[in-house]
Amino acid sequence: MKFGGTSLANAPRMKNAARIILRYSPKNKIVVVASAVGETTDQLIQIAELAKKGNLQQARKLLSKIQASHLKIARMVAGRGETRELVSRLDQLNSELEQTVEGIAHLRELTSRSRDYLLSFGERLSTPILAATMSAMGLRSRALTGAEAGITTDDNFGEAKPLTEISYHQVHQRLDPLWGRRIIPVVTGFIAATVDGSITTLGRGGSDYTATLLAAALGADEIWIWTDVDGLMTADPRIVKNAIPLPYISFGEALELSYFGAKMMHPRALQPAGQKKIPVRIKNSSRPARSGTLVSASESSNGGKVVKAVSIIRDVGIVTVSGSGMMGAPGVAAKVFQTLGSNNVNVMMISQGSSEATISSVVANREVDRAVRALQLALMGQGYVDRIVAEKDACIIAVVGSGMKGTPGVAARIFTAVAKRKLNVRMVAQGSSEYNVSFVVSHKDGPEAVRAIHEEFNLGR
Amino acid sequence: MRIILAGFGTVGQALAQVLHQDADRIVKAYGFRPQVTTIVDSQGSCSDDAGLDISLALKTKKDYGTVAKYPRKGRRNSDSAHIISNSEAEVVVETTPTNFKDAEPGLSNIKTALANGKHVVTTNKGPLALAMPALLELANHRKRQLRFSGTVGGGTPFLDFAAKCMPGERIIRVRGILNGTTNYILTRMETASLTFERALAEAQKKGYAEKDPTNDVEGLDTAAKIVIIANWVLKKRYSLRNLDITGITKVTQQKLKQAKTSNAKVKLIGRIEESSASIAPEQVPTADPICVPDTLNALTFTTEHAGDITLIGPGAGGERTASAIVRDLVSIRQEYAA
Repeated sequence: MKFGGTSLANAPRMKNAARIILRYSPKNKIVVVASAVGETTDQLIQIAELAKKGNLQQARKLLSKIQASHLKIARMVAGRGETRELVSRLDQLNSELEQTVEGIAHLRELTSRSRDYLLSFGERLSTPILAATMSAMGLRSRALTGAEAGITTDDNFGEAKPLTEISYHQVHQRLDPLWGRRIIPVVTGFIAATVDGSITTLGRGGSDYTATLLAAALGADEIWIWTDVDGLMTADPRIVKNAIPLPYISFGEALELSYFGAKMMHPRALQPAGQKKIPVRIKNSSRPARSGTLVSASESSNGGKVVKAVSIIRDVGIVTVSGSGMMGAPGVAAKVFQTLGSNNVNVMMISQGSSEATISSVVANREVDRAVRALQLALMGQGYVDRIVAEKDACIIAVVGSGMKGTPGVAARIFTAVAKRKLNVRMVAQGSSEYNVSFVVSHKDGPEAVRAIHEEFNLGR
Repeated sequence: MRIILAGFGTVGQALAQVLHQDADRIVKAYGFRPQVTTIVDSQGSCSDDAGLDISLALKTKKDYGTVAKYPRKGRRNSDSAHIISNSEAEVVVETTPTNFKDAEPGLSNIKTALANGKHVVTTNKGPLALAMPALLELANHRKRQLRFSGTVGGGTPFLDFAAKCMPGERIIRVRGILNGTTNYILTRMETASLTFERALAEAQKKGYAEKDPTNDVEGLDTAAKIVIIANWVLKKRYSLRNLDITGITKVTQQKLKQAKTSNAKVKLIGRIEESSASIAPEQVPTADPICVPDTLNALTFTTEHAGDITLIGPGAGGERTASAIVRDLVSIRQEYAA
């Protein structure tokens, strides 16, 4: 079971999380993975930036805010006999944290290694509190860091890659004996360590990734992700009033949805679960009775619906490279993407006319100018590219469902529905998995396009 | 090449002997001098950065039972993982006794060595049986070599044959006899009509079986070899936990006679199929090439196009295993010179 930051944000929620664990503990062997409390990780990032600039005073201010909020929760959740021990453990972590921040401030240097070390305090502070909350309810528990639980990574600080076989082996070695003594391990999400023991973070995917790695190592029956929504929705409920939670989706569909911005696990985090075919259940911690969304290997139908969900990524732009000289000139596409890649521009969607005279890429709004400048430098003035143009303020609409595979006419229905509302489609792409058709419309047309598709495929019921 | 020898039993001593004898030939043929700079046994260690005097180490071991008594450079310290992490040697040769419960101290020795950037040659099956995928991943991550020719077949190159001589061919199935001790016991039970207990006692007397024969007769040794072949040759990520293991303790005269009536013998067979692996006593037709007597090992690789290929050879012995270690040292040297 993994609990996200909002599910642990204050004392009542911390207790709520512990009650959920208590409820399922008699009949299940559980490993708990905890995120940092509330917004702690974001605050730590701010502190890191402040310290790097040498602004120790501001950094200390934020730091004492973090310390105070954790101590406050700790005093409210821990059992009578255990408050002192918990508080002294938090004090120790806090002074370690202070020293780290001071070190960064003195050097005015923030390496990715020290950044990971600093960020690790979020989870290292939250896990002992959750463990103490659990023992106040009579559950035997033990707080462990990801490294103590056995997760080992390479030394790519900031987005470390787990060494899966080593991790799987060690997780067994470390957690089996705890289970044997009926102790529930409470593991820090997001953080791990290199072979030498330096603390790393798992980057994107974070705590969910920790949960799926541990589950894969231990051969878990299910992974439960406790969060603040009722599961994956057919569409963003702020856009579509009658959007509903999806009861089932497959790993393939979940991957497409997470790529296209749904509030969902990162593809990296889904990977260990997908590989070992361990179902993932996404549930709302404030309404635990609801069944949530089950992500599993089976591509079961969804009441005969070909489309399951529609999602939107806002704030993107289209960068188009064109020139009649590009036709038949080998290597232009490679040059385009190589240039974008080496300038750290993330390409979300691509389309190319079959005449080869244009190549369009969708990138984030804030990366559009950088992309255009880089492409101009690399491609203009060599005879084959005439123009590089950008349109900002667009959005990607992604329509996802495994039923689309082999069902004729889905694309026609999608674009007819959009056309009926007089929305202009700027660019189209279909994933070769056939789980997804995505297209680009202008920023103001986005919500209406989502509603049009939601309605056309009757997703609200 | 500086070498730490972790474990100084039969195999470790045989290796020291071979390296000592063949040093000049190895320098001449391969351009490197393997130098043992540290030896650790269960009671102590000795260390000399300029290279230990092998004859002296062997004599010390023989006289006192431990290298801790090595003149001036011997210590009572036998914490091998600690010694490995503080040494500058390039290679660790791990020959500590096999145990299939937690694989220690071998597992820690190998992990520490790889984590500290040292190449490893091991003859210890325990760590591989329990954690082979993890150890290969660690070696790969640290860009170091982990070699283990001596774990399967002793001097008979079952592993290298399959991995090096058959590129492009697909090996579908592997089955055979991988444990000389049990094969000897079964042979004696059949030819001399002995009970299992009597045959075991005879094997122990001849030095084929250990005082505690559990690993051999319960099939664990065969299982460990099957794990190693499955991981290395067939790229299947098995560990001891994934296998069905039955030993030979329940084999009776009646079963042997039953086999005889259908022109077969009972053998302890390890096999790897498409999606499973197992170890159990089976009836093997006498005409089958793997139906070998005494302490011999035999392994048949069933390939997609080349048919069945069987290798037969002696499977154990200190000097033979030492020769496998030298083979590994040479290939480490060749790869990192290249």
